[in-house]
Amino acid sequence: MQYRSRLAIAPLHWRISAYIIMVLFTLITVFPLVWLGYSSLKPNAEIVQHPLALPQAPSFDNYVRAWTMGGLGTALENSLIYTGIATVSTLFLALAAAFGLAKFPFKSAKFFTWAFSVGLMLTVHAVIVPLFLAEVRIGLINTRLGVILPYVAFDLPMSILIALSYVKGIPDALIESAEIDGAKYRQIFWSLIVPLSAPVAATMAILSFLRHWNEFLFVFIFTTKKALKSLPVAITQFAGRQNIEYGLQYASLVIGIMPMILFYMLFHRQLVKGFGEGALKE
Amino acid sequence: MVNARSKRRSYLSFVLPAFVIYAAIMVFPLVFTLGLSFTKWKGYGPIEFVGFQNYARLLSDPVFHIGLRNNVLIVLISVFGQIPLGLLLAYMLHRRMVKGAKLFEILIFLPITISSVIVAQLWNRVFSPVGILPTIVRQLTGNHDYIMTIFENKDFAFVPIMFVLLWQHTSLYMVIFLANLQRIPDSVIEAAKMEGASEGIIFRKIIVPILAPVVFINSILAISGSFKSFDLIYSMTGGGPAHLTEVMAVYMYNTTFVFQNYGYGSAISIVIILFIVAAIMLTKAATNKLNMV
Repeated sequence: MQYRSRLAIAPLHWRISAYIIMVLFTLITVFPLVWLGYSSLKPNAEIVQHPLALPQAPSFDNYVRAWTMGGLGTALENSLIYTGIATVSTLFLALAAAFGLAKFPFKSAKFFTWAFSVGLMLTVHAVIVPLFLAEVRIGLINTRLGVILPYVAFDLPMSILIALSYVKGIPDALIESAEIDGAKYRQIFWSLIVPLSAPVAATMAILSFLRHWNEFLFVFIFTTKKALKSLPVAITQFAGRQNIEYGLQYASLVIGIMPMILFYMLFHRQLVKGFGEGALKE
Repeated sequence: MVNARSKRRSYLSFVLPAFVIYAAIMVFPLVFTLGLSFTKWKGYGPIEFVGFQNYARLLSDPVFHIGLRNNVLIVLISVFGQIPLGLLLAYMLHRRMVKGAKLFEILIFLPITISSVIVAQLWNRVFSPVGILPTIVRQLTGNHDYIMTIFENKDFAFVPIMFVLLWQHTSLYMVIFLANLQRIPDSVIEAAKMEGASEGIIFRKIIVPILAPVVFINSILAISGSFKSFDLIYSMTGGGPAHLTEVMAVYMYNTTFVFQNYGYGSAISIVIILFIVAAIMLTKAATNKLNMV
C-alpha cells in the first residue's frame, strides 16, 4: 500500500506516542510467533526449565517426530487438494455466473443475484446438520468430494458478488462485436471474459484460497479417517493430544503456520488490496 | 446473430451450475434446519414434533445465556476494541508518524493468514505454565509458582479469548481504514493545518467524521461476524471449563454432534441466523439513511 500523505510532519508528542503504540503492537503480534519458532528447536527439558531462552543446541528432532507421528505429510497433501480444487472451481463457476448475470438481458438475473447475496448471511452452522445427514445418506461422508462441494458452495456468494461488479464494467460493445463475428457465448466467455477479468480473478483466487485453507468445521465433521484430514485439523488434533511433549506441539504448530507465512510473503499486496477494498472478515 | 432461445440456453448454462451447487448446499438444508428446530430427534428413530418447545427452552437455559453473553462480549471487543485501535494504527501509518511504516504494516497484518484453530493453539501455549506470559510474571514478581488461573475464574474466563480476538483481527480493520484514508485528498488536511488546527483536532473533527460511514458499516459487519464465532473458541477452550467460555455456535455444535440433540441444536442455529440477519438489516436501513443525508 502506498502512503500518499506527505504532509507537514506531525508534532513530536504524536510521533512519540505513535512509536510506542506501533512498537508495542508489533511486538505483541510477532513475538509469540518468533518464540514458538525458536522454542520448537529445543528439547522438552530445556523448554520446561527455561521457557524463554534461546535453544542451546538447535535441533530439528521435534519436526521429524511431529511430521511422522502426526501424519502431517498426508494432511498437507489433503489441504493442497481441497484448497486447490475448491479455489479453481469457485473461480470459474463464479466468473461464469457473473457473466450470465451481468451481460444477458433476462429478468431472472435479478432474482439469482438477490439469492446469491442472501448467502452472505448464512453460516456453516445453519446448514451443517442436514448437510451431514445428507452426506451420510448419499455416501459422500469420508470422501474428498464431500469436503470440496461445501467449500465451493460457501465461497460462491462472495466470489460471485466480487466478480459481478467487475464483469459489469466490461464494455458491452466488445461482446456485441464478438457476437457479430459469429462467436458462440462459450467462446466469448473463455477468450474474452476470462482474460479481461484476470486482475479481479487474482484477488478472488487469493481470498478464496485463504478461506479454504483455513476452513475447519467441514473437514472436522465430514471426515473421520485420519487419511482425509486437512493440515489445520490434523495439527489441532495432534497438538491437543501431546500433553507434556511441548517440543512436538510447537513444531507441529510451526508446520501449520509456515505455509501461510510463505503465502503471505508472496501475496501480501493482493491481500491488502482484497481486504482493504471491503472483503468481509471470516 | 444467435436467436433468443439459444441465447437463453447459454445464459442458463452460465448461471445454473453455480446456482445449483449453492442452492443444494446452502439454501435447501436451511429449510431442514428450520424444520428440525421444531422437533425432538436423537439422530435415529422417530422424529417427534414439539412446536416451539425448543425455543421456549432457550429462554431459560443458563448455558445458552452464558453463550449469548459471551457473544455480546465479542461484539463489544470488536466494536470498541478492534475498530478504534485499527483506525488509530491506520491513521498513524497514513500520516507517517513512524519511520518504516511499511514494515510495521506488513508485520501487524501477518496474523490474518493464520487459521483460527492454530492461533488458538498458539495462545494456549503462550498462556500455559511454560508459556511466555506466566514465565514473565514469575520473573517480575519472584513468585516461582505462578500459573494463570483466569480461565477458571467465573467472571473473567472469557478475557483471554477477547485479547486473542483483538490480536487476530485489529489489523484487518487497520488495512480497511488505510485504504479509505488514502481516498481523502491531502488538501483537506493541508487546509486544516493552515488554519492552525492541531493534530488531535484534525483527527477528531476531520478524519473521524469523514470515515464515520466506514466505521459504521464495519461495526455492523463485525457484529454479524461476532455471532458466527466458532473456530477460535472451540479450539482454545471448547466452551469450558464448566461452560464459562461457551458461545452460541460452540453450544450448538456440542448439543448436536456430541449430545445428539438435533432438534435443540437446530433451534440454536436458527437463533444465530436471526441475530445475523437482524444486524445486516440494520446496516441496510442505516446505509440508506446515511446516503439520504
